[in-house]
Amino acid sequence: MSGHSNWPEWIYVAVVICLLTYVGAEAWNVERIVEHTPAEAEVIKVTGQQWFWTFEHEDGTKEVGELHLKKGKPYKFEITAKDVNHSFNIHDYVVLQDAIVGRLNTVWFAPDKAGEYTIQCREYCGLLHYNMRATLYVEE
Amino acid sequence: MVLELAKPRPIWQIMFSTHHTDVGLLYTIMSIAFFFLGGALALGIRAELFLPGSQIIGDSMTFNRMFTVHGTTLIFLFLLPFASAVGNYFVPIMVRYKDMAYPKLNAIAFWMIPPGGALIWLGFADFSWYATPPYSAISAPGPAADMWIFGLKILGVSSVLGSINFVVTILKCKHPDLPLSKVPLLAWSFLSSSLIVLVAIPSFAAALVMLLTDRLGVTGFFDPAKGGDPIAYQHLFWFTFHPEVYVLVIPAIGMMYEIIPRFSRRPIFSQSSGIFAFVVLSIVGFSSWAHHMYATGMSFTEKTVFMVGTLAAAPASAMHVFNFIATMWGARMRFATPMMWSVGGIALFFSAGAGGVANAAMPFDFITHDSYWVVGHFHLFVMGTIAFGSIGFLYYMFPYITGRMYNETMGKIHFIMSFIGTVMVFFTQHVLGLYGMPRRVFDYMPLPEYIIMNQITSVGAMIIGASMALWLFNMLYSSAKGKEANMDDPWGLGGKYYYPHQAKTPHH
Amino acid sequence: MARAIVLMSILTVLVILPMIHLVFAEPAEAGQYINRKAEIWNLFFKMMTIAFTVGAVVSGTLIWVVWRFRESHPKAKPTKYEEKGEW
Repeated sequence: MSGHSNWPEWIYVAVVICLLTYVGAEAWNVERIVEHTPAEAEVIKVTGQQWFWTFEHEDGTKEVGELHLKKGKPYKFEITAKDVNHSFNIHDYVVLQDAIVGRLNTVWFAPDKAGEYTIQCREYCGLLHYNMRATLYVEE
Repeated sequence: MVLELAKPRPIWQIMFSTHHTDVGLLYTIMSIAFFFLGGALALGIRAELFLPGSQIIGDSMTFNRMFTVHGTTLIFLFLLPFASAVGNYFVPIMVRYKDMAYPKLNAIAFWMIPPGGALIWLGFADFSWYATPPYSAISAPGPAADMWIFGLKILGVSSVLGSINFVVTILKCKHPDLPLSKVPLLAWSFLSSSLIVLVAIPSFAAALVMLLTDRLGVTGFFDPAKGGDPIAYQHLFWFTFHPEVYVLVIPAIGMMYEIIPRFSRRPIFSQSSGIFAFVVLSIVGFSSWAHHMYATGMSFTEKTVFMVGTLAAAPASAMHVFNFIATMWGARMRFATPMMWSVGGIALFFSAGAGGVANAAMPFDFITHDSYWVVGHFHLFVMGTIAFGSIGFLYYMFPYITGRMYNETMGKIHFIMSFIGTVMVFFTQHVLGLYGMPRRVFDYMPLPEYIIMNQITSVGAMIIGASMALWLFNMLYSSAKGKEANMDDPWGLGGKYYYPHQAKTPHH
Repeated sequence: MARAIVLMSILTVLVILPMIHLVFAEPAEAGQYINRKAEIWNLFFKMMTIAFTVGAVVSGTLIWVVWRFRESHPKAKPTKYEEKGEW
């Protein structure tokens, strides 16, 4: 130390560490709550490919470019990709998970409001990435 | 700095020189040239996004190529070489040695950059600077993609050679009377960033070769159809490029450590805490790479580990901010242009860091991942902190390089316009991300919020562009016709300018 | 030093324990699904509250320092290092 007291700096660092600990604990807790998928959630198989989305319901019905779900029911998306990586995103419901070739990623949500929402691709996937969208219809 | 421009020498004498100040000059000129090239691409991108639909760029492929080359250029051909420029000028002087440890290697490291840059610019690849497979392996059009891979390979080797040179110069060629703890913080910043490069780069170097053989169809490291794993590439990539963030930011902080005490007329508040923070940052920087990959399907445990690793980097960065503010406390500051850039850089460094802490919180990733929030966040680092520190430092070196003084008024206008522009562009992009606009898009949905925020961003970018044009004029004009600088005290501070001053005399 | 350690550990106990308690004592979810959107955005607003508070303090300090210790300030006085011209 160059001759002067460094106490203020260490106190400052301690405050920073406390704040970071709080942020970390809070984030950990929310992530834990959010990741807990209800057992009765209906599985929707999502496949991304250049440059459209395909959805398959549990009963085997397939939809391309649009997805119809019921309000108030939990859904679990099983997401994968066919050609290159994509990212499945319903921004209005904070649902986001990468679609990776050869992997099955899951994310769940329970829509609470009827309406139309945009599904988009968030991972760069080539020529028409900007236009790789689908529509989510939440019905009563 | 042997008054390179005041006493004109034939250009080949500078080009084939291995003296550290000559190589430093070459690095400076080349990195600034690429700064303007990469910046021009950014203006093109912003002009395109001013309105939804197609404006000036006809097709999305061109657009994709532009943002790829924009990112690659500004990271590898501006930020890194500019740091090397400053290191070349100052590290040997700060450790009191006659030159870099290996002068020829130094010149070779520099001369690898132009071919690397040429490959990137002539190829104009489209897979973004991440080059993530499978897209980059099976879908990206060649030969652009392959040229990009070779270009990056060359730049990586150059970066490793430069780093070896810095490490050896500082640790082995340091004057015996000078203890390591007394080596100025600017030189310390090069020691830490060079050590990071040496540890970090090999993993990306390996990934590049694997990517190339994948593209040639010989292997399938990252191709699931052949049993490979695309996520492996992302780990290898981020193991290099998260620490690389610190490679970029640490020298910029080192530059501020030279400027702020000088214009505050006080020594740095605490040399030891600066060193401590550099060392901690360069170690902890390796514990956070996968926070870029939360969305790829990581488990809760993995996410937690990398969140903690990410948060761990914040205290060290916060120590730098403290050190700067404590240095300025009780000072008598002269706000000449270099000082303005440094202080502005510190303010934006804090904002970027606060955004980084928020990013580390894993549930937040569901909102921001691959959205414009991320674009705004890291640009606050690369533009707001690193480029600000670098531009300020170039103003600081200017009289010693050219023997002439830049135009102070133009310098201040340059700063004010750039600061306003930077805040307009990158803070707005954060909000744009919260509204869910994905990054790397050629077109966006015509929602009124998107349109207005994109327009604010584009206007801000044009303001930055205009200020940079002014800067270019200032540099070119002043280096030829500017007032002669008072080499003992260009800014009238009344103190001794140890390092730049010694660089003037050929035999320090 | 010893006193500081004692102080810090008391603080840790006071802060961390209630938090752990809070986290683990949560009652099992009663049929209703959690609202993912609300949970995550709440976290976001909490973090932004912290960020903007800290930001106000840090930028406020920075702006004050820059304003007060500029050389053109009426009360500016030479630093003690200026006599020798070395810093």
